Amino acid sequence: MKHHIKLRKPLMKQLKKSNVKGTIVQSQPLWVRIFHWGFTASLTIVILSGLQLHKPASFLALNFSKVLTAHIVFGWFSLGFLAIRIADSFIRRDDSLIPKIQDLRHFPQLMSYCFFLRSSPPPARKYNSGQLLIYFSWFVLFLLSSFLGLVSYWQGEHLIWVWRLIGGFQVLRWTKFITTIYFLATIPIHIYLSLTEDISRLQAMVTGYERKSPPNNR
Amino acid sequence: MLSRRDFLKLVVKGAILGNFYQLISPPLAEAVAAGEVKKLPVVMIETGTCTGDSISLDNIWTPTFSDILTNILDWRYDWTMNQVQGEAAYRILQDTYENMPNEYILIVQGSMIQRDAGHYNHVAYENGKLITGIELVRRIGLKAKYVVAIGSCATYGGPVSGYPNPTQSTGVQNILPERRVINVSGCPAHPDWIMGTLLHLALYGEPELEKFGRPKLFYGETVHNRCPRRKDYDQGIFATEIGQKECLFRVGCKGPVTYADCPIRRWNDRFNWPIGCNTPCIGCTEPGYPDLMSPFTAHLPDIPFPGGTKVNTDAIGLGVLGLTSIAITGHITTSLFKGRIQKNLLKTSVKAQHRPALKKVKTFHQYWPKKS
Ligand code: HEM
Ligand code: SF4
Ligand code: SF4
Repeated sequence: MKHHIKLRKPLMKQLKKSNVKGTIVQSQPLWVRIFHWGFTASLTIVILSGLQLHKPASFLALNFSKVLTAHIVFGWFSLGFLAIRIADSFIRRDDSLIPKIQDLRHFPQLMSYCFFLRSSPPPARKYNSGQLLIYFSWFVLFLLSSFLGLVSYWQGEHLIWVWRLIGGFQVLRWTKFITTIYFLATIPIHIYLSLTEDISRLQAMVTGYERKSPPNNR
Repeated sequence: MLSRRDFLKLVVKGAILGNFYQLISPPLAEAVAAGEVKKLPVVMIETGTCTGDSISLDNIWTPTFSDILTNILDWRYDWTMNQVQGEAAYRILQDTYENMPNEYILIVQGSMIQRDAGHYNHVAYENGKLITGIELVRRIGLKAKYVVAIGSCATYGGPVSGYPNPTQSTGVQNILPERRVINVSGCPAHPDWIMGTLLHLALYGEPELEKFGRPKLFYGETVHNRCPRRKDYDQGIFATEIGQKECLFRVGCKGPVTYADCPIRRWNDRFNWPIGCNTPCIGCTEPGYPDLMSPFTAHLPDIPFPGGTKVNTDAIGLGVLGLTSIAITGHITTSLFKGRIQKNLLKTSVKAQHRPALKKVKTFHQYWPKKS
């Protein structure tokens, strides 16, 4: 969010000393960064332990009840971090993660950029339409998987209607597995794009500040 | 007479000791003799079935099936057990239907074959007309006191309704929505499950049913929760081949998703059961069996594709991940080749050649490089 910021004096000094080109703007508030890295760490554990629950690797010989406990505990952690992000977006009235028609309109251009038919990406709000769609789908699928996880945790004691709706325990497990595959397929894309498109935005995910090249310098 | 609570206790005790009927039949026979309970008339219709449940039912050890038939239930019509045939046998069914409405129990064995109005499954010949399975089950079922579906096919469609289900088969409940069908699933259903349910009906009426219409007293808990190898599972000790003595989860055991009391009741007069002889549970009591449970050696079902091929879930997962890696690698290569990565990195990270001093512009927090 590019709002008023007060740079601390030492930082100002440093900036003056170094050769910064462009504008320093704050793009990732603290809570977003806490959410991002907390969520990343927890979700990594959730996904890895989920895969272990799916097909135990015998050579690891992990204690299975502990794997399940880790999966559930870190599932709750991820949910907690997500709750932080949602609360934060309400407080800041931030809609940067909600895809809008205006974003989707740029999607074909973005694709042609990805396939090297254009030399520069189309203009975007905070995130480009591709990233936005991935983030948004993660939220939806993460909530879906967490919910299904809760349903399977209760083993038919509660939320029976979900079983009936989707056709039983096996379908439930299957759905969770497929969403995990989706995560595993899209996370590398996300990481790849973050590392190669605009490295200063990765920096912003750590420090909060992003350097925007001055418009006349493009 | 035996109280319902004692009966429920016997169900578990009998399962563990293996003498369910020995425990249960003397008080029952007494009750019948004393006129406290009426012998319940039972008719069985077989539709799309292999008759496996009749064979399973036949495997009751002590007392034998015939003891039960003579002392406790009034077994009236059943193709496998009939002592008459043809017209004479069918007349018994019609008599029961006409003279004992809301008194008899209808047992259905086999799936409901719906394709072409059910004409792939004829079960009777009446006034020169062939009667389909669906038609007879509906007719007899609407007037029955209880409708009991036994076996996977009658309960949820079972193997007969397996992919791609050419006969459009389904379970009894789907063609008899007006009635509550008591589902005694299993492929085949355990004799104790069938007879226990019938006895409960005779003595105390409808048993408590669980989410998929099965009596809770037999299907209340997963196989996994009572499995003797559960300690292996909890510690992560897994068999890597069928035939090994550890938990069979890795080789496709469906115990965690299957509700049945096999671990305590076991099979063939409690002699053994699948996991006891080192093969995985195949989830025969669950809706969606066998499609959702096969391959029996894999954890998740294969995914059917149009055209009749099925693809393994793990293979799909690996395929998707493989495609992603190929796509990313390809993109990296092209980007490097075209210089896009270099350009982006330079644009977003490289410092200027000469040191510009910062100048405050407009607002106090924006800094622009000074032209030097
Ligand atoms: C360690 C590898 C990762 C790196 C380097 C990374 C980097 C980044 C960067 C740079 C951004 C900002 C993107 C932009 O401004 O254009 C971002 C945003 C985001 N990342 Fe990651 N990420 C990683 C892993 C993950 C994982 C595993 C997830 C979880 C599925 C995830 C979920 C998200 C979400 C939801 C956002 C949007 C954040 C927001 O605005 O609230 N990231 N990531
Ligand atoms: S063998 Fe099957 S039912 Fe038994 S503990 Fe292992 S997974 Fe569960
Ligand atoms: S162990 Fe599993 S497959 Fe075997 S009879 Fe019991 S529920 Fe069916």
